[in-house]
Amino acid sequence: MAAALFPALKYSDGLTVFGISACTAVICEAISWLLIYRTASYKSLKSTIDKASKKLETMKTTTEPSLATKKSKTKKIDRVESSLKESSRDLSLFKFKSGAVVAFVLFIVFGFMNNLFEGKAVAKLPFVPVRIVQKMSHRGLQGEDPTDCSMAFLYFLCSISIRTNLQKFLGFSPPRGAAGAGLFPMPDPKTS
Amino acid sequence: MKERKSAKFNQQQQHQNGHLSPFKLTKLLDPEASWDKDQLGDVLHWIRQVVALVCGLTCGALPLVGGIWIVVFLIISSGIIYGYYAMILKIDEEDFGGHGTLLQEGLFASITVFLVHLSVGRFGRY
Repeated sequence: MAAALFPALKYSDGLTVFGISACTAVICEAISWLLIYRTASYKSLKSTIDKASKKLETMKTTTEPSLATKKSKTKKIDRVESSLKESSRDLSLFKFKSGAVVAFVLFIVFGFMNNLFEGKAVAKLPFVPVRIVQKMSHRGLQGEDPTDCSMAFLYFLCSISIRTNLQKFLGFSPPRGAAGAGLFPMPDPKTS
Repeated sequence: MKERKSAKFNQQQQHQNGHLSPFKLTKLLDPEASWDKDQLGDVLHWIRQVVALVCGLTCGALPLVGGIWIVVFLIISSGIIYGYYAMILKIDEEDFGGHGTLLQEGLFASITVFLVHLSVGRFGRY
């Protein structure tokens, strides 16, 4: 579409993929808001997790003077941690049920883009990726240049970057205390 | 100095009462400001994303090839984040989960932002 409108622009394919990823991210977050974020159950679970993780942090940072109080504090910490894990699990389960709709939308969009960019390189990687990554980055492309980037890989990168930041911007990212946060926090998979 | 910073953090925690304090832009450069863990994490996240965007676009415009530039980007962005919270905000990292917790805020998303802008930018040269 954009390639037809801006035939002189080499960037058009990459920008089209980026633009469609951005629109898809917005639509998916809107669906997630409708089905998940505005519900009382989600708000209550999120609040529980936030409170439990703050409580856990405070308990872990304060020191106890005697052995007896240390033991009882350890038990309390275990109780709060179990409660936190349970709430995180409930939150994941809750989101999973509504995530099917989002997954369907993503499936449709990916199929559409696959037809649009089949066999075309839409970007150029700055390095030669490892073999296992090449299976996605060079998927369906002609030629032997391993730095050619297929729509699938660029869409994957765009999705992660746009959705993570969009969720952060809108305040929909998972609570910091919930399980799953770490060195490489992905955008909330249950909603995308 | 560390006791003062810890006391400042604890006071902030006590006055929180479960609500986030209103965020002001002047806080971003104020070493005397008190920070909530979530607010600081968000600020560091967005700083990383901006650095990733700028580096990705710059590297895409220049003829920079090789996986080494991802490493260079990681070093630059982590250095900027560290410099910001340690030297400008003068934060005691122990109150916020340590260097690891602060440095990992927005790390993965920033790598993908960097790669996207670098790859799309490079393509325009071919």
